[in-house]
Amino acid sequence: MVRDGASGMRAVAQGTVRPEGAAAETPAARAAPVVDLTGVVFSWPGAARPVVSAASLRLVRGERVFMSGPSGSGKSTLLSVLTGVLAPRAGKVRVLGTDLAALRGAARDRFRADHIGYIFQMFNLIPYLSVLENVCLPCGFSSVRRRRALRATPSVEAEARRLLEHLDMGDAAVLRRPVTELSVGQQQRVAAARALIGAPELVIADEPTSALDADRRTAFLELLFRECAREGATLLFASHDVALAPLFDRKVDIAPVAA
Amino acid sequence: MILTLAAKSLRNRRLTATLTVLSIALAVALLLGVERIRNASREAFASTVSGTDLVVGARTSPAHLLLFAVFHIGNPNNNVRWDSFRAVAARPDVAWTIPLSLGDSHRGFRVLGTSGDYFDHLRYARDRALVFAQGTRFDDAHGAVIGADVAQSLHYAPGQQIVLAHGTGEVETSLHKEHPFRVVGILERTGTPVDRTIHVALEGLDLVHADGGGASPDPLAAALAARAARTADPHERTISAFLIGLKARGSALSVQRAVNEYAGEPLTAILPGVTLLEVWEIAGVAERALRAVSILVVAVGLAGMLVALLTSLNERRREMAVLRSVGARPAQIFVLILGEAMLLASAGVVLGLVVLEVALGAGAPSVQAHLGFAIDATWPTREEFSVMLLVIVAAGLASVWPAWRSYQFSLIDGMTLRV
Repeated sequence: MVRDGASGMRAVAQGTVRPEGAAAETPAARAAPVVDLTGVVFSWPGAARPVVSAASLRLVRGERVFMSGPSGSGKSTLLSVLTGVLAPRAGKVRVLGTDLAALRGAARDRFRADHIGYIFQMFNLIPYLSVLENVCLPCGFSSVRRRRALRATPSVEAEARRLLEHLDMGDAAVLRRPVTELSVGQQQRVAAARALIGAPELVIADEPTSALDADRRTAFLELLFRECAREGATLLFASHDVALAPLFDRKVDIAPVAA
Repeated sequence: MILTLAAKSLRNRRLTATLTVLSIALAVALLLGVERIRNASREAFASTVSGTDLVVGARTSPAHLLLFAVFHIGNPNNNVRWDSFRAVAARPDVAWTIPLSLGDSHRGFRVLGTSGDYFDHLRYARDRALVFAQGTRFDDAHGAVIGADVAQSLHYAPGQQIVLAHGTGEVETSLHKEHPFRVVGILERTGTPVDRTIHVALEGLDLVHADGGGASPDPLAAALAARAARTADPHERTISAFLIGLKARGSALSVQRAVNEYAGEPLTAILPGVTLLEVWEIAGVAERALRAVSILVVAVGLAGMLVALLTSLNERRREMAVLRSVGARPAQIFVLILGEAMLLASAGVVLGLVVLEVALGAGAPSVQAHLGFAIDATWPTREEFSVMLLVIVAAGLASVWPAWRSYQFSLIDGMTLRV
């Protein structure tokens, strides 16, 4: 960890992660895996059997990866480990070259806020915030993402509007609606805009389309792909719906832990 | 950032938030109001006995004597003979005396028979003398001087005729119609029982009772009138009590002892300040009970808030997971819940103060009329500010529990959504 003296902001410069604010990226940073999981074992405290056993995963920059596995295979738990919310019992979790185990709790939360966008299966939005406030939320917790959001647009809100427009949610009437009155598809697009704002390097989606019908599903994925490509984000997409897998660069399987 | 979220989250749960704020506000208004009334009443009572060194009446308990003689609460059981009064008044260490004769009323207001010395020597609120708003003191047996409340509520002006009734009840059964009085003076407001009193000369009361109770068909009233007629001679009149001002305060105890040992009849002399403290000790139990109740009401208000927060937590686990996913730390989740509680409590406290001040502003005249002391909407004192701060701190402490729970939830749940 170093501190960026000029901005007073914390930036991760360890290993192969590019220092914040540096426009040019080193070839090494470009080549470093965005996610590097090796031999991860996770079990809930007191539980005899691990939920995740010896999981390994490696994602490179810009990849779109489909992670499949039946319900109960520990997908969500693995994603929690990947985002540093849960700590594995064994194994290494490196995201953007940073060993999450080496970070303390608050630093891990900050790292997640700075570098990871997250889309849940459903109920992604904070009910008491407006559409725009929901999209802008990560920039309130991460100054890194706030600064990146402001790179091209004058305000975070303008950036949120831009992203929503790209996701076909730019209609003023829609923006004014309480988030609880949006359709599930609209909610997921707002969630996607929130995951993408401030250009996080990694976007994780945990079954984001399971509540959508088939044609909506494909449309949502296309929008998500397009925006991830624009922002240069790596996409890790967890789903049990293997029919979607061909749309991705590659597919990894999570096998349930043998009894 | 987190506090903005807290405020927006509360706005979203407007109804419960409003109800919580209201219950805290009413509790705080009650707590502060009880203290206000306590302080105002103590001040009013203390100011009433200002300047009087001794109060003397027929043998009774000190508290009883103080209450009926000075505060016009309750009635005398026995009277003091006029010659006893003369004998005590003649003592060399006595500077002045004020005779007090109670027992009649006019339209619910007490009538006090006294002498001109009343207007010369009575003091209230740190040595302030009585001042006439209109007219003058009575100089014969027909004049009456009325307090500010009497004048205000009965719309009396100098020249108004008044008829006394025997007894002090609200219902006037026996009127002394044969001897009407005429209002000659109205006193400025004092904030003491004087405001609610009609003052007449002792000679006037002598005449009233000599004339009998009017054409009353009540045999008891007739008998009383007959007895009163026999005492028309001033030297045979009796009074209820009298106030003493001494030449030197230091002689108070010796005069008190002398009066208590007076051979002519059993008398009780009290130091009003000392007796007032005893009365407070009796009243103190009620005051403490009242305060305990109002503290409990505040606790109930805060408990209501706690219940509202705790019941919302389960449905908000999802919200917490979303906040965690966008980078909120568990500590920030903790602060979010704590902040909500503090916002609710602060709003409740501020609203409670407003409610209190408005209520006091609106209710001051009726408090003055019914309780006989002034209570004003004033800027809160430092103690009241600390009470209000204490309520907010208590709310913060109470909310540590739900805040801790949601902190735990956010650690356990991580990014998994409990739907």
